[in-house]
Amino acid sequence: MTHLIQAKALCKKFGQKTVLDHLDFSLEAGEPIALIGPNGAGKTTLFSLLCGYLSPSSGQIEILGHKPGSDSLFGRVSALPQDAQLDPNFSVQTQLEFYGRLQGMNKNTAKAETARVLALVDLAENGQQKATALSHGMRKRVAIAQALLGQPELVMLDEPTAGLDPVNAMQVRKLIAQLSGEATFVISSHNIFELERLCGTVLYLENGRLQQQQPSYQQGAAGYLALQLEQGDSHKVLALLAQLAGVQKVEQLQKNEYGLFYDRELCPDMDLTVLAMLRTEGLAYRQLTQGRSLEQQLFSVVNG
Amino acid sequence: MPNFPALASHCVLLARFELYRLIGSPRGWFALGAFAVIWYFLLRYPIFEASVQLQQPDIQGMLGRVFGMVGLYNLLNWPVAELSVYWLITVLLLPLVAVLTSADQTAGDRSRGTLRFLTLRTSRTAIVLGRFAGQMLVQALLVLLSLLATLALAWWRLGSLPLAAVEHALIVWLNLLIVLAPFTAMMALCSALVRSSKLAISLAIVGSGVLVGLLSTLIWYQPDFLWLLQYLPGAQLPLLLGEQGWATFQHAGLPLAQTMVFLVLAWLVMKGKSL
Repeated sequence: MTHLIQAKALCKKFGQKTVLDHLDFSLEAGEPIALIGPNGAGKTTLFSLLCGYLSPSSGQIEILGHKPGSDSLFGRVSALPQDAQLDPNFSVQTQLEFYGRLQGMNKNTAKAETARVLALVDLAENGQQKATALSHGMRKRVAIAQALLGQPELVMLDEPTAGLDPVNAMQVRKLIAQLSGEATFVISSHNIFELERLCGTVLYLENGRLQQQQPSYQQGAAGYLALQLEQGDSHKVLALLAQLAGVQKVEQLQKNEYGLFYDRELCPDMDLTVLAMLRTEGLAYRQLTQGRSLEQQLFSVVNG
Repeated sequence: MPNFPALASHCVLLARFELYRLIGSPRGWFALGAFAVIWYFLLRYPIFEASVQLQQPDIQGMLGRVFGMVGLYNLLNWPVAELSVYWLITVLLLPLVAVLTSADQTAGDRSRGTLRFLTLRTSRTAIVLGRFAGQMLVQALLVLLSLLATLALAWWRLGSLPLAAVEHALIVWLNLLIVLAPFTAMMALCSALVRSSKLAISLAIVGSGVLVGLLSTLIWYQPDFLWLLQYLPGAQLPLLLGEQGWATFQHAGLPLAQTMVFLVLAWLVMKGKSL
């Protein structure tokens, strides 16, 4: 079976500095995949290897069974590369149509496809403008639009919402969610909450090594609830939560925020039990969340 | 194994886009405007005045003796004088113009990141070949326009245009493209090596100077290597000026071979480059 992406002992060095160190992973088509890691972890280098912008120092990487950058992937793989800009001498529409032609579309299809992708990123009225006349956020959206031209099977987005205002960032997230049935997205971002909402699988890179590859949703018997209250005496709340039947451990996350570990099989209705206790004690709550956040999952393992 | 039909189709698309850069963008319109002004002055003064002077028997006699000494006697035998002056000017001037105008084949796009968008859709081989073909297409158009203007000038001066002049104009056009090809391919290589057109021009000039200096030093100590100078870009130009008509194409082999070598080197550099 051909994997969407497969890396074997993948290494990338710049001089003496090892940026990616023996990465081994395979990813399948389907839900969006998150690539997470701190600054300098090697995310953009991995992206550049996947797009064929860089060659590995050693090891192998394949996309849909082909080497990145090979002719067989043209039109099947697309990307939003970080910091890449369109040619300032031509209008956005001219360039996107040209990219469409390179992807094998005829003139009319390329024109229609350009109009479609510009409309997807809410820039239908800006096609005649040059990239230099657009704001940073609009240029970013145009770059996302070029990644959606045609029918790519794999769309790689490096920091797709960086530099966008909250409204446009939300639109981009909606767009990815909406299109995730048509293509597999690989998204690199520092925004862990954004990736948590969008992605089914998470690759966590740190210091050039793959620390974790896991589904972003909770699995197994270990239950977890995150509770945020309006207010309340933390000692009293911790004691109340700890005495609930089936609770294994309680922790205070932040002010008025608590985490409960429990056995999901023994107490499948722990959320209802907690809500009943809050009502009895007259404690107003703001949020009750099933499962640990992606941030908690990643950093509780990575940082102990 | 490269997909040759796709490679050819991408090369055509990339070359046409370069032509569109000239005729479809304000930057191209400025370049065309500058081209028209420069050629107005070249046609109005050196070419027209020299063509009139070349009709004087005493001037013809003097030039015949001078050109005969340096092997350029054939320059006086062209069907119309305008073409011989045009040929003399362009064959020496246009290689330098080609170095200056074709320096940004890939450098700017790589530094801006535009090549990252392109390489998701086409191969680096197609980018090198397509951009080179595009530059040649632009040069072919501009040389053709200047040649037509030169023929129009001759027509205006003579009141008619001999058919031989049109044939010679075609020969000049093809020859100039062959002369310009290695310089344009050299700039494809320089452009692939650096990240801006200015650096590419500097690299071409300094690199050529260093190469000539090294060869001269080698020949000073080892005169047996004098033959190496025959293989430098433009080395065939003095021979070319001494020929006329279809005989000029006997010197086409060297520039075409140099073009191939430069393009292969540009492709190798581009293939190994990080984007």
